[in-house]
Amino acid sequence: MTTAPIQAGPTSGEWDAPAGAGAAGAPGRGPLLFLIGSALVWLVVSGVFALIASIQLHTPGFLSDCPILTHGRVRVLQETAFVYGWLGTAGPALAVWILGRLSGSPLRGTSWLGVGAAFWNAGLALGLVGIAIGDGTGTALFGLPAYVHPVMLASYAAIAIAGVLAWTGRRRGPMFAAQWYAAAALFLFPWLFSAADIMLVLAPVRGVLQAVVAGWFAQGLWTLWMAPLALAGAYYVVPRLTGKTLPNYDAASLGFWCLVFVGGWTGGRHLIGGPVPAWISTLAVVTTAMLVFHYVVVALNLRPALGAGSVLRFIAFGVGSYVLGGFVDAVTAARSVAVSTQFTTFDQAQQQLALYGGVSMLLYGTLYFAIPRIAGRAWSSADLLRGHFALAATGIALLVVSLGAAGLSQGRDLADPSVSFAAMATHMQVWLLVATGAQAILLLGNLLLAVNFLETAVLKPGSGEGVAS
Amino acid sequence: MKNGFVFFVGIFAALGLSWAGIVLGSNSQVGGLTGYYDDSDGQSYPLRPSGEAAAGLLVYRDLGCASCHTQQVRRPGFGSDQARAWGERQSVARDYIYQTAVQLGDFRYGPDLANLATRKPTAPDRESLMRLLYTGQGAMPAYSFLFETRKISGQASDLALKLPAGLEPRKGRQVVPTARAERLVAYLLSLGTAYDYPEARPAPHAAKEGADK
Amino acid sequence: MSSPSQPDPRFEKAKLGDDELLVAHEKALGPKPDERARYRLAPLMMLFAMAGVILFAATYLNRYSGRFDRSVYDETALPNAGGAAEAKVDPAVAGKRLFGTPGACVTCHQATGEGIPGVYPPLAGSEWATGSEERVIRIVLFGLKGPVRVRGTDFPGTAAMPAFGASGFAWSDEKIAAVLTYVRQEWGNKAAAVTPQQVHKIRQSVGERKEWTQDELLTVK
Repeated sequence: MTTAPIQAGPTSGEWDAPAGAGAAGAPGRGPLLFLIGSALVWLVVSGVFALIASIQLHTPGFLSDCPILTHGRVRVLQETAFVYGWLGTAGPALAVWILGRLSGSPLRGTSWLGVGAAFWNAGLALGLVGIAIGDGTGTALFGLPAYVHPVMLASYAAIAIAGVLAWTGRRRGPMFAAQWYAAAALFLFPWLFSAADIMLVLAPVRGVLQAVVAGWFAQGLWTLWMAPLALAGAYYVVPRLTGKTLPNYDAASLGFWCLVFVGGWTGGRHLIGGPVPAWISTLAVVTTAMLVFHYVVVALNLRPALGAGSVLRFIAFGVGSYVLGGFVDAVTAARSVAVSTQFTTFDQAQQQLALYGGVSMLLYGTLYFAIPRIAGRAWSSADLLRGHFALAATGIALLVVSLGAAGLSQGRDLADPSVSFAAMATHMQVWLLVATGAQAILLLGNLLLAVNFLETAVLKPGSGEGVAS
Repeated sequence: MKNGFVFFVGIFAALGLSWAGIVLGSNSQVGGLTGYYDDSDGQSYPLRPSGEAAAGLLVYRDLGCASCHTQQVRRPGFGSDQARAWGERQSVARDYIYQTAVQLGDFRYGPDLANLATRKPTAPDRESLMRLLYTGQGAMPAYSFLFETRKISGQASDLALKLPAGLEPRKGRQVVPTARAERLVAYLLSLGTAYDYPEARPAPHAAKEGADK
Repeated sequence: MSSPSQPDPRFEKAKLGDDELLVAHEKALGPKPDERARYRLAPLMMLFAMAGVILFAATYLNRYSGRFDRSVYDETALPNAGGAAEAKVDPAVAGKRLFGTPGACVTCHQATGEGIPGVYPPLAGSEWATGSEERVIRIVLFGLKGPVRVRGTDFPGTAAMPAFGASGFAWSDEKIAAVLTYVRQEWGNKAAAVTPQQVHKIRQSVGERKEWTQDELLTVK
């Protein structure tokens, strides 16, 4: 029953009509392409910072006499450009687009979308400069300087207006899973962000509470914003490309509510053994384990992504990494395991597995599906697309494995008081070099995507291949 | 899910509940922590940092020192924190009540700094910290932009660094820390949580286990 | 370029339209009369999985939450079961800290309590430190000058011990009681603790004076 193929309906010819031909999505083309294009620019920028930060770990002197590029600042620059620039720009753009498609009518509020996109990028650019000159807040995933927070919030609201209008104006009452995830992500980010802004910047809480709030925000940003943005794309693209309803779809809503209700409680994940009352991290251990249920549901629902097709390959890789990351999280949250992975690059390996392997790969897949339908033109090069997948998959695998291996070595050395920090760094050296190589590969792959996008959506090749065929 | 209103109430409740549980919950417990007044000493702990040290915390934060150094000592059984002489007891919430921007950190590429100034047996002094910042050591890069190389006019400055051979500036010149370096070092030298709060003492059964090992 | 098995990657045609996607998934969720009255395997397994996860969560929370107490930092401990309890200051702990105050006891008598041979007398095993409270309180309050005999060795008294009860240190009765309790019970010493009341009484009865000498002290019982 669950995987029965669906008869092609009478309207089947219109689904993929070029956006310019009057089908859904046409009015938002410019702003959407601008948002996605800028997201790709930030992706490349963050790739450059990632490369610098990675080199600095094995060659500490690299660029260290440059005050704006200390390792601490480069790490924040990389993280901010990646999370707010790439995931946070491409994700909402695609979420808005998906909500528009599923609403059955053209996007409304697209001029707000354009205004929001412009200010979001301006705020982010200003924020990155601010971090480089030392104005960052020094909180994980919340590094943007205080003075750009209002701009980010306001411009995000402007971007989300189009999504909200598409959601409220939808023709059908019952919502599809992609709509839950997209609407939840669009709606929850401003609350999370402003709550963190009030408690960490405007009226900072005292002492270690700052760390508790920061943990709550970081985990919330992951489970309530980044992960849902990516899942919205995957839930939308997989049935459309396979032509089948998702298997075990009746469990999908359980998976969604599990993520949303349990995810926010995992905030104490990195405070194990730390100076906070024990229950905060105990709660995180428990809820991280409970999230496994969500990952199982996602794996069941999206398993048809394993089918053929270049776009689905990105999604399949993404779902695999996302689910694997969830299980690894659950295991390493346990105190007995966390003891040896805490404070090591193993944490970073997990983060890369989730953010790069999971969320980014899902967004890549959605992007490859969406761009021809937004721009009304097929991708200009199939080789660049294949090359991007090969480089991204290799780079992510290498990065995660090398950081994980370095982290295990680091964890062993940290636990042994007779090993000095110099010796520890020497033991990690080889793996950190591999990680730098992986960052270079990823950067190259992302450049291929950016070039392909540039040729497809901006340079308008003379052949002007429509996608109506 | 057919009802959009219920859907929104649901996701908002999810966020609100986790906020109430984790943030409000812990705020009600440790948000109002005050210093611990010791009758026999006639003062309360932790001590407030000096103004210069408080300013140094901001230098520590904006340079991103926390990306390689933590400031939290865990109890025995959690790594080698205490065996490495980073502290004689685990860090507790009360240690941080006077820090305007808490820098717990989540990555240890260098040693923990929670008790840098009260480390036993060898706590670093101003001079050695300045030299470390200027020259770097091992995986720690040099932060030479926190120093100025100036011409000696008349007498050499009292603040000038005494550098080992090979790293000295040219003759007639001296390396002097900038105000930021002074603040940063003042902050580092204020890091120390020597007081034994009741909640920081190991639980009796844990102490026994430790003795057995 | 596009073979039937491998769709053109530049533009993969969708096999399902937006509207069809919505309809199909609505149907998948719709009320399904279970005509054959059979359990569907997947949801049942999911129910088990969920129950298992919740059971684990509840057990773990029950064991390692420290009853959600604000002062439990060790997840295996319980509130008020020892270290976590809000307790009075332990005089031995306070005394140790006072002993180690820069410029105070530790400077001369050393952390080992052995002093420096020929200059500063030891406290470990010292008959003065572990003897009469009356004498040792007087020494700490007002200081000691001149030669003194400790553990059978004569110290010439080239260096005097300062007064801790008055100018300079001006330690309170509580502090002096704490540091003496520490000294009398550390390094194998096993004398009775000193109370702030004892110190207070002596401070009142003696009033103001200069350092004691050995002979003066020996007249005190």
